[in-house]
Formats: sequence, C-alpha cells, structure tokens
Amino acid sequence: MTKHLIGLGLLLAAGIAYPAIFPNNLTIAISVLLFAGWATSWDLLGGWNGQVSLGHASFVGLGAYFVAIGQSQFGLAPWWTMAMAAAFAAILGYFWGWLTFSLRGPYFSLSTIAVAEILRLVAINEDWLTGGATGVFIATLPEPFGIDLFSRTAQFYMALAFAAVVIATVIVISRARFGFQLRAVREDEDSAMAAGIDPTATKLKAFMLSAALTSIGGGIYGIVLAFIEPHVMFALLLSVQIALTAIIGGRGTIWGPAAGALVLVGAGEMFRTTFAEANMLIYGILILVVVLFVPRGIVGELARRHIRRLYAKRAQS
Amino acid sequence: MAGIDIFLQNVANGVLMGGVYALIGIGLTLVFGVMRTINFAHGDFVVLGMYSAVLFNALLGWDPYLSLLLAMPIGFLTGVIVERFILSRVIDAPPESALLATLGISLIIGNAILLTFGGEPRSVQVSYASSTFSIAGVNVSMVLLLAGIATVIMIAALYALLNRTEIGRAIRGTAENRLGAELVGIDTRRIHSIVFGLGVMLAVMAGVTLIPLLFATPTNTGAVFTLKAFVVTVLGGLGNVGAAIAGGILLGVVEVLGASYFMSEYREAYGLIAFLLILLFRPEGLFGRTVKRV
Repeated sequence: MTKHLIGLGLLLAAGIAYPAIFPNNLTIAISVLLFAGWATSWDLLGGWNGQVSLGHASFVGLGAYFVAIGQSQFGLAPWWTMAMAAAFAAILGYFWGWLTFSLRGPYFSLSTIAVAEILRLVAINEDWLTGGATGVFIATLPEPFGIDLFSRTAQFYMALAFAAVVIATVIVISRARFGFQLRAVREDEDSAMAAGIDPTATKLKAFMLSAALTSIGGGIYGIVLAFIEPHVMFALLLSVQIALTAIIGGRGTIWGPAAGALVLVGAGEMFRTTFAEANMLIYGILILVVVLFVPRGIVGELARRHIRRLYAKRAQS
Repeated sequence: MAGIDIFLQNVANGVLMGGVYALIGIGLTLVFGVMRTINFAHGDFVVLGMYSAVLFNALLGWDPYLSLLLAMPIGFLTGVIVERFILSRVIDAPPESALLATLGISLIIGNAILLTFGGEPRSVQVSYASSTFSIAGVNVSMVLLLAGIATVIMIAALYALLNRTEIGRAIRGTAENRLGAELVGIDTRRIHSIVFGLGVMLAVMAGVTLIPLLFATPTNTGAVFTLKAFVVTVLGGLGNVGAAIAGGILLGVVEVLGASYFMSEYREAYGLIAFLLILLFRPEGLFGRTVKRV
C-alpha cells in the first residue's frame, strides 16, 4: 500500500508541474484526469465488486447539474454544491442498488441502463428542474483566493485533485477489510455470505461510494464545460465510455482505470482528425481485443506477467 | 371522433408498431435462448438493415422490400461470421465477456456507419409512405401494415423452421441442453453460428421494414432499438420466441396509450419502467412458465 501511495505522490508532483511545462495541452489533460477519476470510481463497484454498471453517466450528470443550477439559480459556490451532489448521489445509489441488486451479472447491467435512461428522460423533460433539452449555462463563478475557476489551469488542478483523491481512496480500500469484502462478494456471493459478509450491504456501500465520487468529478466537468445539456451528461455512451475505460485498463486493479483513461483519451486525440466524431470506434476495437486476448486488461495483464516472472526467478534460485 | 374511436385508433397503432418491436425482439430472444448471450449489438444490426435499404435505394433505386432479397442473406452471413470469429471464443467465458464483446461490436458498427454515411439522418422515400386506409373507422398506415405482414410471414417461417425441420430440432435441442445436444451428435457450434445468423437476419429485416417510417442515424438509434428489444424480450420472457411477439405488441400498445393518455414526453420511459418491474418481480417474463433464477 505504501508503495502505491508513494507512486501516487510522485505522479501528483509530476501533475502539479504539468501546467508549467505544457501550458497548451491542458484541455486533453483535464479529460484524461476526469476519465481516470470516473473509471477508478466505477471500478470500485464494477471491478473490485464485480457489478458492471452501465449507468454511471447519471452521476456525472447529477454532479454537473448540481453545480450549474446551484450557481445560476441560487448563487451557491461549486464546492458546496459538489458536496451536496455527492451526498445526493450516495442516496440515489442506495435506492438504485436497493432496487436492482437482487439481479445478478448481465441482468444487473441491463437494469442500470434502464434506470439511467429513465433519469435521462427526467432531465430532458422536467424543464423546471433542469432547464430541459436546451441546457444550463454557468455564467459566473466565485473566485476563491482570487483564483479564476474558468481558467484551464485552475480546472486542471481540480481534476488532478479529484483523480488523486479517488485513486488514494482505492489504494486505502484495497488493503482494508472493506476491500476484501468487496472481492469476496465479487468472487462468490454465496461463499461470502457463508463467511459472514452481507453481500447486499457490501454492494450498496460500493455503489454509494462509487456514485458519490463520480458525481464530484461530474461537478468539475460541469465547470469545465460551463454549458450543460442532458443529452451529453446523461448519455448512455458516456456510461459505456466510463465502464470500458476501466475494463480496458484492467478491472479490479489500482492503476488500470487510470491507465485506460490515458490510453483511450490519448488514442481518441490521436485519431481525432481521422475518425472525427466516430472516435468511439477505438473503444469498440479495443474492448474486443481485451475480451478476446487480454481479459484482465492492460494493467491486469502486466501485473500477471510480473508475478509470473517473480515466481520463475524464485524457482530458479 | 368519439372517445372510443380514438382509443381503437391508438390500440391499432400500438399493435402495428408492436409488430415491428416483436420482429426486433425475436432475434434477440432467439440468440439468448440458444446461446445464453445478451446481444448488445442487436439494435445496431437493425440500424445496419436500415442503412442497407438506404444504400440499395441510392445505388439501384430499389424499394426497401425488394432490397430484403439481398439484405437478408447478407445479414445472415454477417451474423455467422461475427459468431465464428468473435462470440464463439467467449461462449465459455464469464457471461460479462460476451456482453462486453457485443458492446464492442455495437460501437464498431455504429461508428463504421457514421464514418461511411456521415451523421445526418437518412431515409428512403417511398410513394406509399403516407398512404392510409380505414377499416371500421380506424385508419391504418400502409407502411406499418406492410411491416406487420412481413412480421407475420417471418414469424410463421421461423415457427416452421424451428418445429418442422431437422435443423430446427437441433436448435431447440441446443437451447434445451447444450451438453445433451452434443451427446446425441449435434454440432452445437454450427447451431450457434446459424442462430446468430438468424438473429442478425431478423434484425436487418426489421430495419428494412422500418426505413420508410423512421429516419436512420448511425449511433443513437442502435442503442434505442437494443433497449426496445430488451424490453420486448424481458416483457415476454427471455429466450421464448412466442412470448416475444406478445411482449412486442404489449410494448407498442403501452407506449401509444401511455403517450396519448398520460404524459407524451415520457413515451420511451413507460416501456423501461415496465421492463424494470418485470425484471425485478417476474424475471421469467409475463408469459414464461419455467421459473429460473437470474
């Protein structure tokens, strides 16, 4: 665990220096960091706990809407609205899980799509709440300590802090009792129950934590975009993107989802001119490659090879 | 028009729309029933069918129904190839693998269409697009009626295939018990390929019959159809072809009635809510007999 935390500290230091070195590549770095944070949050539920959700865009949308509406209608500062969004996302996650956790495997995934789609329809149709299909603008933001939150540098540091907090949470959980409970439930719910673990309670906790963390990233995303539409925020494709980022990077590994974000956002940027808006093609091809040839994902496969090499070395000596 | 007339009109529209939903749902349920694979790309194969009609119309000036002659065999072959090279490799992996693989196929199809045809909605203009005729005061759209007839023919053909032929017997046997089927000498891998081919063929056919009615867009419509197909099959009971027909008609009627008597902007949501309720409280479907644990 200390090894991972030191690694995170080094990456954080590199991240803090990043805007000074590459001041012109901040937007893509923000994308990478947000996706890293979302995919890592998703992985708490989808990887460590084995419940593949295809509805996490709902929480992104929730965070973004809390920040946007809080600011434009009530003049609430984003840090308050983000905290409210996280609490509300956890409550939503609780009821959502309570409703759907009796379903297992692919059926759970299907039900998350249905719930997320219903939430999307609510966001589009309830104009009084969300401004409807036209969306919401964030016109002004407070300036804490004289920092302009509209500047890309400030947004980069927010995204960096978000990704770092999420990864740190996963590092701590991976070695905590809760982390072992998550994995036990993933491997076999019935055996976990026999060992005294309540599978539903474990899954609910994972879902609530995952939802709360995702919605904080959603709030930052709202500030970055400054203009929020339900079609974008609650889109099924965003949910799919988040899930695939984590799976391609490596489910149930600490660094997998972040590596996935780097690879996928990077590849999307590289092929931007070739594929234009068809950049999800990369996700499609890579997920096929992962499912067929590297079922553990990029980091999972590297870790497996590393462990095999260690054993081989030990056998020789 | 009196209230009862409007009601009958709505029911008629719902039933006809439901026929197309049933056609989409049957392909999905057939694949699930035999292969136990949840096919996320099903809706994208429907969209592929729509674009094949657009393509044949643009190149050869064919009517959508004429293009079925080519689109259906091509769809079948596509399905067989996809099954052979992708799905057959993950059939014994954990169920999520197949789901993720079909999700990948779905993204590839949608975005490949987007690259080829561009993002703007496409359709095929036919002379009978807006023609209607009335039976006992109820107006029936020609396009929907043709789609309904095509659905009935297809279902009858499928029924005959499944129940009257040797290959149908092998398919039913594989669905019932894969190992048992292997033991009596059925090549279940071949059956899987055939079934996935049939599933794609049905999806393509549904797409072609829908093109005079709906606009095709590359990426969004696929997901919409996939969701509809799930709703239809779960309403009826996953893996049950006959029930998918009832599920399709039920979804069509629920959507139209819900939209005209309650809040029309939530048209799409009614099916999804029904889907969730069934999944939670009656996972074997409204018409399923066997109680399976999901």
